[in-house]
Amino acid sequence: MLLRILSAELLKIRRKLVWLLVLAGPLGVVGLEALAYALRFDYMIRPADSAKMWSDLLSGIGSLALPALLIGLAIVASMTAGIEHQMNAWKMTLALPVKKRHVFAGKFLLTALLLFVSCVLLALFSLVFGLTLGSSLGLHGSVPIGGLLREAFYPYLAAMPFIALQAWLSVTMHNQAVPLTVGIVGMIVSLFAGSRFPDWVPYKWPALLNQWHEPLYSVGAGVALGLVVFLVGMFEFVRKDVK
Amino acid sequence: MTTKSEIIVATDGLTKRLGGRTVVNGVNLAIGRGDIYGFLGPNGAGKTTTIRMLLGLARPTSGHIRIFDKDIRKERLAILRKVGSLVEYPSYYGHLNATENLEAVRRLLGAPKSRIDEVLAIVRLTQEARRPVKGFSLGMKQRLGIATALLGNPELLVLDEPTNGLDPAGIQEIRELIKSLPRTSGVTILISSHLLSEVEQMATRVGIIAKGELIYQDGIERLREQAQGRIRLGVSDPEAAWQLLLSYGYPAEWDRTKLTVGQADDRTIAGIVSRLVQSDFQVYRVEEEHASLESIFLQMTGSEASL
Repeated sequence: MLLRILSAELLKIRRKLVWLLVLAGPLGVVGLEALAYALRFDYMIRPADSAKMWSDLLSGIGSLALPALLIGLAIVASMTAGIEHQMNAWKMTLALPVKKRHVFAGKFLLTALLLFVSCVLLALFSLVFGLTLGSSLGLHGSVPIGGLLREAFYPYLAAMPFIALQAWLSVTMHNQAVPLTVGIVGMIVSLFAGSRFPDWVPYKWPALLNQWHEPLYSVGAGVALGLVVFLVGMFEFVRKDVK
Repeated sequence: MTTKSEIIVATDGLTKRLGGRTVVNGVNLAIGRGDIYGFLGPNGAGKTTTIRMLLGLARPTSGHIRIFDKDIRKERLAILRKVGSLVEYPSYYGHLNATENLEAVRRLLGAPKSRIDEVLAIVRLTQEARRPVKGFSLGMKQRLGIATALLGNPELLVLDEPTNGLDPAGIQEIRELIKSLPRTSGVTILISSHLLSEVEQMATRVGIIAKGELIYQDGIERLREQAQGRIRLGVSDPEAAWQLLLSYGYPAEWDRTKLTVGQADDRTIAGIVSRLVQSDFQVYRVEEEHASLESIFLQMTGSEASL
């Protein structure tokens, strides 16, 4: 049933700008990083070896990708839910023989899936840029696949509470200004969270910083809290009358 | 109550309170299989709220709903599988074309793909199937809504104000469409409206709701009986004529503007006329006056009803 809902959801976002956003996000992030390299190329300190080049590159992209991810998830969640709000389609969808919790799960999964696609693209674009940079610097070495995947997917997983939160807010509120504001404020908070907040503050997790210097702790906490937020949201959605 | 056929929709003391106001109050609907049930009431009477509860979109504050002899709370999915609905203004995805709109719903229903062309043909949108729906007229959107409702081959079709906001030609078209449905596919239809005239031509049963309470529920013929005519007499000095007729035992009524006699056979009317002529009244007119269903509806729903 969930697959059917997801396939219907994918059909509904046909010809919508959301796909463009999914592409533009990672493209913009890697493009910006490429621009930074291009501007500094002449007086840049040449990295000692390929490994150093990759780690510089990935941390640079990572720090740009983080705010993009946090604002992107709010916008994507709002757009996927907005399809129903705009044309008052909730009453139609929910009068169909589908479980309300599945409808909610469908919206969450669609948002998570679109962001996942963005992360895959981010990894791909990073790879292409890294290879190009390496060859133009004359540095040859193996591609740090693990690092690349960590850069692309750890923050995504650690941001799961916010994906769930934004999906929930966007689905239950007709006025999308509210969830978008929450998303923007969240992004700003997360920009400063790294150094100032204690480890338990979820806004710190997507940056993968904690006192144990173990990114997986942030990822684990994110996935766990994400699941909790998702379940709470789903419960509330099921209980509520449809507008 | 419909006794001859099986009851498909039955509500028992259905009540909904919203923000301290009782929007639907103790409604007992009974809709039999094959009925075209006209659910009437002025705007704000509780029609849409009732329908939302029937579809499981809203929870009743109290009362029970049984559809196909199943409790909506326990077997919502099993019920909705056999129900097609169109609630208020049409819901659609404007950036998609008609076929894609239907496909989005079809994927959820798991209906066969061929069904899309069938329902498009029923609502005569085959020609427009590839156009984005946002460019559709309201009438076409409403037809697409009906097509969506028909997609799952429903046994019960719930249409909430399907002609709202349409021009006369659009209303006519939707009405013809709805009238043709039960004959072709044997479905039961619940159709709500704030206009009696709209429903009276197709409904077999009527329920009238006002201020959240169901004030009438019966066959359309019973409503028509109530609307039966009276004989109006145009005479010189009607007040004196009224007293004369009363003194002879005729059921005359005088409301200070017109003199009327309730249903009477030809002989009684002849008697009345000859009695008036003999008493030197001048008889200008003897005419039958039909109370419109509309006026009965207005009477029932109260004068403040907006029609």
